[in-house]
Amino acid sequence: MTPQGIVTVTDVTITPLPAAPLHALEIWSNAPAVAKRYEAATGFALPPTGRSCGSDALRLIRYEPTVWLVEGDASALPTILGEDGAITAIGGGIVRVRISGKGWRTLLMEGGVFDAENPAFTPGSSAATIIEHVAVRLHVVSDDACDVYSPASFSTGLVHFWEVAEGSLVG
Amino acid sequence: MINFTFDGKAYQAREGDTLAAALLRNGIGLVGRSFKYHRPRGIMTAGVEEPNALVTLGEGGRTEPNTRATDVFVYEGLVTKSQNRWPNLSFDLGALLGLAAPILSAGFYYKTFFGPAKRWMLYEYFIRKAAGLGNAPTQSDPDRFSQRAAFCDMLVVGAGPAGLSAALEAAEAGKRIILVEQDSILGPSLIRDPQTQGAQWIEATAARIVALGGRILIRTTASGYWEHDLVTLTQRIAEPGQVPVDGVAQRLWHVRTGQVILATGSIERPMAFADNDRPGVMLSQAVRTYVQRFGVVPGKRVVIATNNDDAYQTAHALKAAGAQIVAILDARPAPAGSGSVFPVHNNAVPLSTKGARHCLKSVSALVDGSPKSWNTDLLAVSGGFTPVVHLHMQAGGTLDWNDAAQAFVSAISRQNVTTIGGAANPEQVFNVTPISKPKKSFVDFQNDVTLADIDLAWAEGYRSVEHLKRYTTLGMATDQGKLSNMAALGRLAEKQNVAIPEAGLTTFRPPYTPVTMGLLAGTGAKDGGAHVRRLALYDVHAAKNPIWQPLGYWFRPRAYPVGGETLAQAALREARAVRNTVGMTDVSTLAKFEVSGPDAAAFLEIICATTVSKLAVGRGRYTFMLREDGMVFDDGTVWRLAENRFLLTSSTGGADKMAALISYVRQYLAPHLRVSAVNVQEHYAGIAVAGTNAKAVLTGLIGEEPPRHMSTVPAMIAGVPVLILAASYSGERAFEVYVEGTHAAPVWAALEGAVTAQSGCLYGLEAMEFLRIEKGHLVVGGEVDGRMTPHDLALDKMLNKAGGYIGASGLHRPALSAPGRRQLVGLEAIEGIIAEGAMLITRTGASPHGHVSAAGLRIIEGSSIALGQLEGGFARMGEELIASSPTRQMQARVCVVAPHFYDAAGDRYRD
Repeated sequence: MTPQGIVTVTDVTITPLPAAPLHALEIWSNAPAVAKRYEAATGFALPPTGRSCGSDALRLIRYEPTVWLVEGDASALPTILGEDGAITAIGGGIVRVRISGKGWRTLLMEGGVFDAENPAFTPGSSAATIIEHVAVRLHVVSDDACDVYSPASFSTGLVHFWEVAEGSLVG
Repeated sequence: MINFTFDGKAYQAREGDTLAAALLRNGIGLVGRSFKYHRPRGIMTAGVEEPNALVTLGEGGRTEPNTRATDVFVYEGLVTKSQNRWPNLSFDLGALLGLAAPILSAGFYYKTFFGPAKRWMLYEYFIRKAAGLGNAPTQSDPDRFSQRAAFCDMLVVGAGPAGLSAALEAAEAGKRIILVEQDSILGPSLIRDPQTQGAQWIEATAARIVALGGRILIRTTASGYWEHDLVTLTQRIAEPGQVPVDGVAQRLWHVRTGQVILATGSIERPMAFADNDRPGVMLSQAVRTYVQRFGVVPGKRVVIATNNDDAYQTAHALKAAGAQIVAILDARPAPAGSGSVFPVHNNAVPLSTKGARHCLKSVSALVDGSPKSWNTDLLAVSGGFTPVVHLHMQAGGTLDWNDAAQAFVSAISRQNVTTIGGAANPEQVFNVTPISKPKKSFVDFQNDVTLADIDLAWAEGYRSVEHLKRYTTLGMATDQGKLSNMAALGRLAEKQNVAIPEAGLTTFRPPYTPVTMGLLAGTGAKDGGAHVRRLALYDVHAAKNPIWQPLGYWFRPRAYPVGGETLAQAALREARAVRNTVGMTDVSTLAKFEVSGPDAAAFLEIICATTVSKLAVGRGRYTFMLREDGMVFDDGTVWRLAENRFLLTSSTGGADKMAALISYVRQYLAPHLRVSAVNVQEHYAGIAVAGTNAKAVLTGLIGEEPPRHMSTVPAMIAGVPVLILAASYSGERAFEVYVEGTHAAPVWAALEGAVTAQSGCLYGLEAMEFLRIEKGHLVVGGEVDGRMTPHDLALDKMLNKAGGYIGASGLHRPALSAPGRRQLVGLEAIEGIIAEGAMLITRTGASPHGHVSAAGLRIIEGSSIALGQLEGGFARMGEELIASSPTRQMQARVCVVAPHFYDAAGDRYRD
């Protein structure tokens, strides 16, 4: 029996991305000054909570009040931070998975608790949430794609979960 | 037409038929047997409130017992069976229980506990044999169950005229809305009772809602209303027993919404009179539904009993369908029904029915005080309407009494929920007090509870409605009292000589209708809900076919057997390799935290009970952590990688707790510190290399002398940057090599090649356990069990004398230094094998003085040794005890010794 109502788009592709250098950037003091130094050095502002900012070479995604996920070349950051913060490599424990296609929002609602279908969750938005009991971070990279940052140990199971769920999104 | 079977016989249904409609279409009146007395039962309702027509659907793992025939839509190949009968539905020997009804009345089960216990042993067999209805499937369910989140501004429950209108209005106001309907069609009440808003209006309204971005879910029941306006929806994607198109049978929606509109309507109530449970006695609106929606006329000569106007619509529908209305028994005085074209009898209430197993034959009633009877094959009953207030009450809402409707209606709620439509404004009814003999006047059809049972419970002192419910079983099982609650409350109020609201009300709890267990488990249904955390080197290990060991969610190699070895043989070979040459193992699951910043040392000295700040760069030390009450809760190592950068490791099993503690300290206890503490547990894969030849292995790979014990250096192995920590958990010279998880495989391969060249081998958790027991190292969960202080574990000399760490204050409690505390000791077998978990006793029958926390053996010699916790253990060296394990039927004579069986001086750590 086909349910009436909203047409759920089921076009979705799950693509694990190659390993990349990822860092956690934390600022513990003089945040406004660090922000100025960062913008002067990179041309981008430090993104606010729930947003990302940067380029393919260096992008910061903010998930916590004082912590940003750094994607790309972080070599300049220690100098920018000085004594006001630190960066720590974390890329060895994170698997990035791109969920693309019109149905990515629907797929991320499976086993989730976050409103990925919210129209305000647009490219550049980010969120830290739980999917199928796994703590993940989301970053909307375009209207048709969202990157998921999963703990490496859970990533195989999570990708399998999505691959199974992908075939039954109608409804 | 759609083909289905009932009790092995083939029938046909029409598209859109419920099973109940299809059975009635095929002239089947007898559908099931009642729970206790095995009385013949037919179809009473047309909805989820059905108490009688419970059947078993499907085959194999898809079998679903106790499903209401009124709540399943027939599909091609549907297999259905009646239940609770033997040898068959028509001739059921269980019906003999009806003869024993006088002794099976309310509370009979509890009374079986009276008297000598041996009588219960006799009753138990028969009670268990008779209990239950359908049989649960023995095969596992092959289908999947999905769980999905949804968010909206407004959730509308019920797609009748009120619900559809509310949803449309909200959607047009720009709100995100979800509209749910448990039926397979929208507006089922409008199909039953066509008004100005007919099928076209329904279709147009739904289309408009969807066009505005709304979501409409049919076959979806709002089954639970939780805090913060979280509502769970149960969506049937496939019918019970049906093979789902894409593998998912049902979906559980978690809807978080700003507002909930309940347009849930009302449920019609039956009347209590003798033999009111026969096949052929149905609710009036249900009869109308079968006629108007399904084109099925359940009877030809119909009597209608009512206390309201609604039932007259049923009479008109039946007449239009060709049935004869023999009489309308209206409980109200004239002029109620006076304008009707039917033979109306005022002041008329049914007294009893007569019939056969499959059908109704006659109805007798008291009309103006005089008995009368009619031959009939269908009695349509309407005893008023009970608003569906379940979700409102689940939301923490209160109820008001509507005297005109003789029903409870929604009042206020602390959540944002509003009830509209028929549920908010039930139809007026005339209160009817049952006058029939109570013994066969059923109130709860599903549990065979009669008015006499309620009277008996009252007579035996059960005054509270909650007690009454449990004593009589009224309101339990799949229908949860949807039909019976008000009748029971009415009787209770009558007995108490109070108004119904004063008699009380039972609590409505989720789920509103039964929810299959698989749906609650979701995708985890197949594996107990447990994830599998895979090591970065999982594939490398898997290629060697190890024995895997679940460790929390992790799966780690327990041993690598070769040539048909058992686990014990493999583990002993691996441990001996470490003692004699070299071994390597995966320690990636250890908790790891990188702590950076000018205040990193100060931060760590809050978390660790040892000093940290005195560490030189490149050096590490053993450390442990306390709870605030002073008990040890974890241990590990801390390493100074740079002046302002440390690496803290702790146990695998305590990793999540440690992460929580670090976050707690960072956010609450020390937010002022200039520090960053990052969980790098998964960033680094860890490989331990241990044994006499471990130094040679490392030297060969990094091209220089490896660090001395408790020192660390960065290096390169196989072209990959690594961090080498010289630390040992085995008692041998050992190193832990940390490498980014994504680059771990080539490092492992290089190390394995070098280890093999040194005649070494891989070792797993079992060998690691042997090694650490022999050396006397602690494990969290074994020796560190949350009850031991640093002193109990002989760690007190390492405590930071400056204090300031978590647990420092707790350690000053007098009880923690009182004599007789359990302390860590070693145990050496004098005779027998020491069992893990064994009690330590001085003689058989004496109270235990402690227990064995870990049992192993001397790796080279093979004799039995153990670690244990013993009262006053430090002062009992040399004492002989018994290690007794009644559950394992093992007993050993043991001698209390120091907990270091191997290289107590630590000489083997040093070059």
